[in-house]
Amino acid sequence: MDALLEHLPLIVPLVIVQLLLMIIAVIDLIRIEKTNGPKWVWALVVVLVNLIGPILYFIFGRRND
Amino acid sequence: MNLWFVLFKKECLEMVRNFKVIWVPLTFLFLGAIDPLTAYYMPKIVDALGGLPEGTVIEIPLPSPGESLLMSVGQFDTLGVLIIALMLMGTVAGERKSGVAEMVLVKPVPVGFYISAKWAAALILVWLSYFAGMLASWYYTGILFGWIPFGEFLACFFIYGLWLTFVMTMTIFYSSLLKSPGLAGFLSIATAVVLGFVSSGFSHWIKWSPALLKTYAGEYLLKSALPDATVPALLVTAGAIIALLIFSSAVFRKKELAG
Repeated sequence: MDALLEHLPLIVPLVIVQLLLMIIAVIDLIRIEKTNGPKWVWALVVVLVNLIGPILYFIFGRRND
Repeated sequence: MNLWFVLFKKECLEMVRNFKVIWVPLTFLFLGAIDPLTAYYMPKIVDALGGLPEGTVIEIPLPSPGESLLMSVGQFDTLGVLIIALMLMGTVAGERKSGVAEMVLVKPVPVGFYISAKWAAALILVWLSYFAGMLASWYYTGILFGWIPFGEFLACFFIYGLWLTFVMTMTIFYSSLLKSPGLAGFLSIATAVVLGFVSSGFSHWIKWSPALLKTYAGEYLLKSALPDATVPALLVTAGAIIALLIFSSAVFRKKELAG
């Protein structure tokens, strides 16, 4: 338990970064009108695939027109 | 100049609207921090998982601070380049497809302004993200393996940053040359990979190659002395960036006239 507490300050920031990316992607997914491909698939990808999911969504999922 | 700022503002606004300004720095931050962390915990993870026959001795040496930072640079060299190319591949090609480019250029806007405003906005985003990533790597390296002097870190940061700027400019160039964003992204990644491959293979003949900047940044970090070829390589890269920018505008202008 002590060991865990000692390492926590190092790992927590990374978890927060991951969560932030996911939350931003989810907010955007809710607000956006249309995505490339079905919305619910993107929702699954964003929530289930750590880190890569939101990035894939931002690069390929958003329609830029 | 006023007109240029209007275009520049439009680019910045767009980056805020499509969240690039948040997700790119966060991703780079993650990429930078993850390598020192895994290098540090790898022996512990192997221990905890066990499953090795008794008596097996596997020594996984901990990296030196310099090596740890270089692992993150390697991460930017692969995934970072990939992200930069993918995120910028549509910057001109996509706007041409959707008609935004025509809407902008219907007004008396010089093509050079249009391209350079895009370039400047992308430059700020890339360097901000890259700095966030390198700083995270430097900080984690410092905590886990020992501190690298901040001056040396900055030198390494700027030397390698110029290569990323080159990749970024190349993506904008391909994006203004080609109609398809996908092809532009693919070609800029392919060029970066081939350039890196050829440069490391023939490093004796083309010491000034932009792709060798990563090697020079690494050598500087590990040996604290700049290799002789660094300055020519930096100059060639800067020249190539300017040339690519001029080509981008020229190529785009021709395309516009052609139809």
